[in-house]
Amino acid sequence: MFAVGHAGCVGNSGSALIMLHAEGIKVRYGEIEAIHGVDLNVGEREVVALIGANGAGKSTTLNALCGLLPTVAGKISFLGTDVTGWAPDKISRNGMALTPEGRRVFGQLTVAENLMLGGAAHAGRAERVRRQEELLELFPVLRSRMTQKAGNMSGGEQQMLAIGRSLMSRPKLLLLDEPSLGLAPQMVDKVFDLIVALRKAGLSILLVEQNVGLALEIADRASVLRGGSIALSGSAEELASSDLVRQAYLGVH
Amino acid sequence: MGKSVRRMSVVAGAIALALGGCGSKHDDSTIVIGVVTAQTGVLASYDQPSLAGFRMSIDEINARGGLGGKHPVKLLVRDTRSDTATTAAAAQELVDEGAKIMITPCDADPSIVAGQVTQPAGVPTLTFCGSSPILPGAVGDMMFTTYPTDNLQAAALAKHAYETGLRKVYLLVSPDTTYTSGLPEYFGKVFTNLGGTVVGKGSFSMNQPDFSVAVTTIRNLKEQPDLIMTAAYEPDFPAFVRQLRAAGVTTPVFGADALGTPTIAGLGELANGVVFTSAGCATPGSKLEAFNQQFNKVTGHLPSSAYEVNGYEIGLLLDAAVKSATSMSGPAIRDALDNLENFEAVTGTITYRGTQRIPVRSVALLRYEGGKAQCLQSVTPAASEIPAPL
Amino acid sequence: MLLQHVVNAISLGGIYALLALGLAIVFSIVGLINFAHGELMTIAGYTTLGALLFGVPFPAAVLLAIATTAVAAMAMERIAFRPMRGASVTSLLLTSFAVSALLKVIFQNGLSARPQPLAMPQWMTGSYQVGNVAIGVGPTISIVISVVALVGLELFLRRTVTGTAMRAAAEDFPVVRLMGIAAGRVIATAFALSGVLAGIAALLWVAQRASVDPLMGAVPVVKAFIATVVGGLGSLPGAVVGGLLLGAIEIGLDAVLPPSVVPYRDAFVLSGVILILLFRPQGVIPAATVRRG
Repeated sequence: MFAVGHAGCVGNSGSALIMLHAEGIKVRYGEIEAIHGVDLNVGEREVVALIGANGAGKSTTLNALCGLLPTVAGKISFLGTDVTGWAPDKISRNGMALTPEGRRVFGQLTVAENLMLGGAAHAGRAERVRRQEELLELFPVLRSRMTQKAGNMSGGEQQMLAIGRSLMSRPKLLLLDEPSLGLAPQMVDKVFDLIVALRKAGLSILLVEQNVGLALEIADRASVLRGGSIALSGSAEELASSDLVRQAYLGVH
Repeated sequence: MGKSVRRMSVVAGAIALALGGCGSKHDDSTIVIGVVTAQTGVLASYDQPSLAGFRMSIDEINARGGLGGKHPVKLLVRDTRSDTATTAAAAQELVDEGAKIMITPCDADPSIVAGQVTQPAGVPTLTFCGSSPILPGAVGDMMFTTYPTDNLQAAALAKHAYETGLRKVYLLVSPDTTYTSGLPEYFGKVFTNLGGTVVGKGSFSMNQPDFSVAVTTIRNLKEQPDLIMTAAYEPDFPAFVRQLRAAGVTTPVFGADALGTPTIAGLGELANGVVFTSAGCATPGSKLEAFNQQFNKVTGHLPSSAYEVNGYEIGLLLDAAVKSATSMSGPAIRDALDNLENFEAVTGTITYRGTQRIPVRSVALLRYEGGKAQCLQSVTPAASEIPAPL
Repeated sequence: MLLQHVVNAISLGGIYALLALGLAIVFSIVGLINFAHGELMTIAGYTTLGALLFGVPFPAAVLLAIATTAVAAMAMERIAFRPMRGASVTSLLLTSFAVSALLKVIFQNGLSARPQPLAMPQWMTGSYQVGNVAIGVGPTISIVISVVALVGLELFLRRTVTGTAMRAAAEDFPVVRLMGIAAGRVIATAFALSGVLAGIAALLWVAQRASVDPLMGAVPVVKAFIATVVGGLGSLPGAVVGGLLLGAIEIGLDAVLPPSVVPYRDAFVLSGVILILLFRPQGVIPAATVRRG
């Protein structure tokens, strides 16, 4: 099974150590404020789902957490370090990985090259080869495609590659942005099986997903983003049974 | 607040008065010379040396008491950045600031626009080393060229070529400048008049170091020329001669004054036999040689071209003109300059009388041998031998 | 005669290709068309000149010039372009014009406005016979060096981590940063490579003209720009094809046009470029750049 990095000691009284703690983060696109003070926590070995409608600010939140977007207010701490305002590459080297929305694999590069770049800043050549071997056990579909251009693969294969590329850095926290978007139903199942497997292996995951039902099925906790603010937070079970979520996102009346 | 401002303005007024008092020492006798010149941009490589020579002569003249011995010179220098519009604006500024004489860049276009400012203002204007013979006619009676003009150089070259037994010429022109297009044409005219023939004509684009096609054409000419005449200069000339010789063509090449540079000399054997012109020849014991040494003493380096001495001679010409001028007005200085005859300068004698403000002066002919320019002869073509400006 | 023209076309096109590649590498990564690329050539020229004057042997002078140019390119990025990171393409373009103008003035007033002779060794100026045609040694060397440089660059981009990261950055720079790869290093490498290419091209260019002057980079950078646009802005294979195409068109027109029309060759060249762009607005080999927020 794929090995994952560990955040260190487990907190007392069985509750997980907090890995990521975001408090009051605001992001602005020009004059428009996209998120207005979002608070989020992700604990060790925890899967947290961030759900909400299109334009609610889910991707913006993830991009802000990993340093791609500058925050205008708030504080982000990761593994006890204040990483507010850090460059994305530095945050990545610190153990947080984002698999971005739309997969964004390097289409002109081969599958092998994509994977190599995922680990380039984190491990030497020999270690990268070792990690890649482990990954291919997890993603057997990629093995036969190693010398193929990533851009020529199907959407589902590209999603596998994108996640695999993120895992090459052995992250302590993985941010997944819409991993099932635009995939065929059987591919969606495969992606979710993978997330479950990663979780079992001990990886912490912050998941943004438009398929709210599936997300709540595999998440420990969840938050609902609405209009750039957290509208509701709680355990996945609580949210799945809340009226707000049932009506707005699960289509239950 | 109001009070202190008033007090300050009183102080400022007093300072201004004091300064004015200082200035009045020169006052009437001082002559302001405006220099609109390209110290940056494409013309800088001509204007910088010209200005260095001109400054040297003005410093010497001021040490002697000024132009004509009694009119100290105040130089106002403006950089035109080789831009024609900037040249016009700078010329206007300098005229407004009281320039009595104007010096313009080493090229016809900016000199013409500056002349359009100075002509109506009655300010005599001299171009540094602009050598287009159409320049004075294009501006008017205030405009003078100083350097051996293109047609004068071509006449001297053609005479020399014919006298040394060469009969068939191939002309290589570039329409990009009047210099590179006009000079070979003048040569062709004089050469044909003398009895020679033009066996072909090719052209090139400046600043494009590939001459392979021109060279191939020359190599395959049915009637091989005795010489190739071109006004190409750097960086085109070295590229041309290099590719010509590489292709095994040994025909002598004639060029013009722009070939008198370290770069061409640096071609070594490749430039063997290249004949070109200069404002003068620094033979041992000559005035030019003495000038070169003096220039070296003053500036710390030898002149890089003939433009330094030409700039220096402009100072001498103005000195002579002011000496004989009836008054210090622009038109009076102009008339005095226009009447100079057989003035002994550094490179030889210079005459403006009856020449339409284009100097008749000797042209030195030189030839490269083993990376050194050797003087062949000095030629002063008769007025009848100089082709009319195109 | 045809063989000569072909050799000359490849030789000239090779130089254009090296220059265009230098522009394209930087553009593909930071979206900047660096018009100060020409001044990098000038720096290479003056470094060679200075090294030779100080008695440095020719091969060492050449290597020194290329290394200096690479460092100069990185310094240019650090001083002028890094503070402008994230600015619009127009602002970056204007910055590069400013850098170019500034360097020209510094060369003119700090060194000399006059061209300085820089003679390449004699053996580079001869010619040799193939059958009954004379082929110049210069163009041959130029072709060989261009090919070696192109192959070297290709190997660097394919075989090294940094090279792969650069190709990835050309596609999607933010994601490269998400991988933990420092942006500064990728950009600095891009500039260093463009400097190396400018240095090599400058030496080949100077070999033809035998002199160095403050404005020597002005014409080549425009040619390189045309070549990159023809090839496809930001596309590396496109830059090479664009450069070779431009060289071939120029030499071809020189050979074919009647002498009275040759001076207007550049007008024909540019008309040809417009024609190509009418049919292929993204260039011959468009770049595969993904530009996202």
